[in-house]
Amino acid sequence: MKVFAKKLIAVLALVPGLAFAAEGTYPLDRAPERNDLASLQNGAKLFVNHCLNCHSASAMRYNRLRDLGLNEDQIKDNLLFSADKVGAMMTTAMRPDDAKAWFGAVPPDLSVIARAKASPAGSGADYLYTYLRTFYKDDARPTGWNNMVVPNVAMPHAMWQQQGIRAAKFTDQPDPHEPGKTVHAFAGFEQVEPGAMNLQDFDTATADLVAYMTWMAEPAQHTRKRLGVVVLIFLSIFSFLAWRLNESYWKQVK
Amino acid sequence: MSIEKQVDSGRRGLLVATCAAGGVVGVSTAGVLVSTFQPSERAKAAGAPVEVDISDVAPGELKVVEWRGKPVWILRRTPAMMATLTQDEGELADPASDKEFQLPMPAYCKNPQRARKEHPEVLVTVGICSHLGCSPSSRLAAGPQPNLPNDWPGGFLCPCHGSTFDLSGRVFKNKPAPTNMDIPPYMYLSDNKLVIGQDNEKGEA
Amino acid sequence: MGAYEETKLPADAPPSAKALAWVDDRFPLSKLWNDQWGKYYAPKNFNVWYLFGSLSMLVLVLQIVTGIFLTMHYKPDAALAFGSVEYIMREVPWGWLVRYMHSTGASAFFIVVYLHMARSLMYGSYRKPRELIWLFGFAIFLCLMAEAFFGYLLPWGQMSYWGAQVIVNLFGAIPVIGEDLSLWIRGDYVVSDATLNRFFAFHVIALPLVILGLVAAHLIALHEVGSNNPDGIEVKDNIGEDGHPIDAIPSHPYYSTKDLFGVSVFLLLFSAVVFFAPEMGGYFLEYNNFLPADSMKTPAHIAPTWYFTPFYSVLRATTADFMYVLMAAIALFVVFIWLKSRLAYRIKVAMAVLGIVLIVGMLPQVLDAKFWGVVLFGSSVVILAFMPWLDHSPARSLRYRPTWHSILYGVFALVFVTLGYLGTQLPTPAFTLISQICTLAYFSFFLLMPWWSTMGRFKPLPTRLTFTPH
Repeated sequence: MKVFAKKLIAVLALVPGLAFAAEGTYPLDRAPERNDLASLQNGAKLFVNHCLNCHSASAMRYNRLRDLGLNEDQIKDNLLFSADKVGAMMTTAMRPDDAKAWFGAVPPDLSVIARAKASPAGSGADYLYTYLRTFYKDDARPTGWNNMVVPNVAMPHAMWQQQGIRAAKFTDQPDPHEPGKTVHAFAGFEQVEPGAMNLQDFDTATADLVAYMTWMAEPAQHTRKRLGVVVLIFLSIFSFLAWRLNESYWKQVK
Repeated sequence: MSIEKQVDSGRRGLLVATCAAGGVVGVSTAGVLVSTFQPSERAKAAGAPVEVDISDVAPGELKVVEWRGKPVWILRRTPAMMATLTQDEGELADPASDKEFQLPMPAYCKNPQRARKEHPEVLVTVGICSHLGCSPSSRLAAGPQPNLPNDWPGGFLCPCHGSTFDLSGRVFKNKPAPTNMDIPPYMYLSDNKLVIGQDNEKGEA
Repeated sequence: MGAYEETKLPADAPPSAKALAWVDDRFPLSKLWNDQWGKYYAPKNFNVWYLFGSLSMLVLVLQIVTGIFLTMHYKPDAALAFGSVEYIMREVPWGWLVRYMHSTGASAFFIVVYLHMARSLMYGSYRKPRELIWLFGFAIFLCLMAEAFFGYLLPWGQMSYWGAQVIVNLFGAIPVIGEDLSLWIRGDYVVSDATLNRFFAFHVIALPLVILGLVAAHLIALHEVGSNNPDGIEVKDNIGEDGHPIDAIPSHPYYSTKDLFGVSVFLLLFSAVVFFAPEMGGYFLEYNNFLPADSMKTPAHIAPTWYFTPFYSVLRATTADFMYVLMAAIALFVVFIWLKSRLAYRIKVAMAVLGIVLIVGMLPQVLDAKFWGVVLFGSSVVILAFMPWLDHSPARSLRYRPTWHSILYGVFALVFVTLGYLGTQLPTPAFTLISQICTLAYFSFFLLMPWWSTMGRFKPLPTRLTFTPH
């Protein structure tokens, strides 16, 4: 039963991909909500271990991770990857010139990437969640990797050891707009080599990572919303008082 | 007549309540704006504690490090230098360091050596004169020298207005500087490594 | 001026009264207060639409104050600007709140100003003798658009950079001097650090000073003539025994409290956005602007900020094909003027000549559609200034004009909003056609107004203000 459930989930996970038409962009999956501190801390760990090799998050100070319920010693012992002081910024050692030479593009800074990638197609979290899970083996590319959300991307699959190696299947289908022509349609992934995690656990881990990146893009968001409730309640009272005060004067105007 | 009085008191009540609420809006907005003046995370990180390795400081030598943008002197005093500290107290304006300059005097340094008892020979002091903020020059050797008295025990001379300090950073009498030089909070991580700006007693400064 | 006479109060007068008298003897403080607000008598039938003037002033103060505090931390350097904004958002205590207030305030400013202008259109507040108030207001609107444009470059994101690049290049469309003018505005061959620094100066001090001066002039002109009202009749035609208009009331306390209530509701809505939706779906803070400016890579979809999109639509609608439609429209309009208008013969001839010049200029070999697009873009804004001279209706306020006039105004509002929406979208052939139709409708509304505003059966004007007591 457990095996069947896992297989079912694996198949269902492919459904959004199968629904993808040949032309147009790859539809984005919804990033699961993971707002608890444990998920965010896990996401921070994944980020520091897998992303800071090449990317920087130069607006993010390591000691801000205290907001996720960690103390400075925990940060220093487990997460201080690219600096020696907990008050330093999350920079990367890779120089932009080297990156350009090795990958063809400079890895962008990830501080606010979750805000930058929002669009009518989905939130920034949805974009990143889908992007990080749709890498596939492609020997025609310099890195050996390609991606469904960003075709011909310069970035390799940073977490291939966790997700394993997958290939993408394409079929030739008749073009719905031009009869007689065919289009290259995506027809799903197939696992070539398994990774350290099964696909479901990998999706959960990616959700944690994306949740962390969403938090990192605006660390003040939690405070903002909590304060907002107080402010709106107060201003409602103020508006009510101002209304009654106004009425008390205008009653006299004939 | 009485209806007017009712309207008036009702209206006055509303007026007071609305003004009070409006005052809260105004004060909290002003508070938010004024708070932006406080040191930012960047400023606080730049002011974080500094670790110093003092294994390369021989007796009689002075090492300078930066903490919060200011020079901090680490002086390893010889036994001869240590002896002068109890002898020159008659000449000092504030031998017991009762008056403070910019930093509170750590309790563990309230002694003639103005040092932690783990290593009383090591002086850690902020090298800024308490008069107008210049950094004094070293005059560690004892004996007569230009601009210094004949019984000079060794210490520091500020070039700007002539204030003199002893080998514990305590100011001599009748000098422009009003107080002794600051002792920052500090602690030893090991015999040769100390952290300036942090101590076990009060945590980070 | 007579000799100085000290005001003498009885000895037991409170110190505050004596202090005020001392000041009043030397500076017209009480007089200013009373003339400008305290005893400024305004019509008693002001409705919701009359709140937006004071709200505009509130937002102006808000932008200046939050702007001052942002300037303490922002760095106007191409290499540092983007990072300094994130510094404000994360590291300056409460910086995120000040930043969101400023970004939301910019959009709020345009919402409030557009509603303020709509009030004037509905009630004829620009009609004689209030033309100058309207013209000062128009100048404020122009400065506001420039202020927003300069300010938008400062975060130095992708939209900031490419939006500025596109708009400055518009000046390149001007024949002969265009390219040199663009180079001079930018201070460089492309938008760069030089451009950023001068836009910073314009945004932070130059334009705010001009705007403050124009707002003062706007209010002085208003107080000279007195306010209009939703009925469009002059309250000063009916003076009471106390020397004040019968249907007017002193602004203090009546409009002090009413405006305070308006302010409280505004702050409620404003705070809801600031605390719960500062990005507003990408309309108040564009998603693309969270990518640092990259002069090598243009984003797939550049759109100006929402408050510019109606006029931007007009620019984009002016395609090469549309030029022929415009030429025909101009010819038709000139014929219409000759047949129907009662303008002097000289003027009719002048307009015919102008029409011919324009038509010739619109020929593909003469001036291209890019140039005329800029001309129409500018004209779509400037035509607002002419309202006092286009509207010939015998009644000021829509309330006493034929109902179909109100419907036409409603259609105009719909056209404006449609143009605005289309400006946010990619230009498909269908969208382009709709924006071209809307452009024609937009200009026809104004250019034909001298005629249609006089047509129909007008309702009799009241002698006293219509007012329903609270």
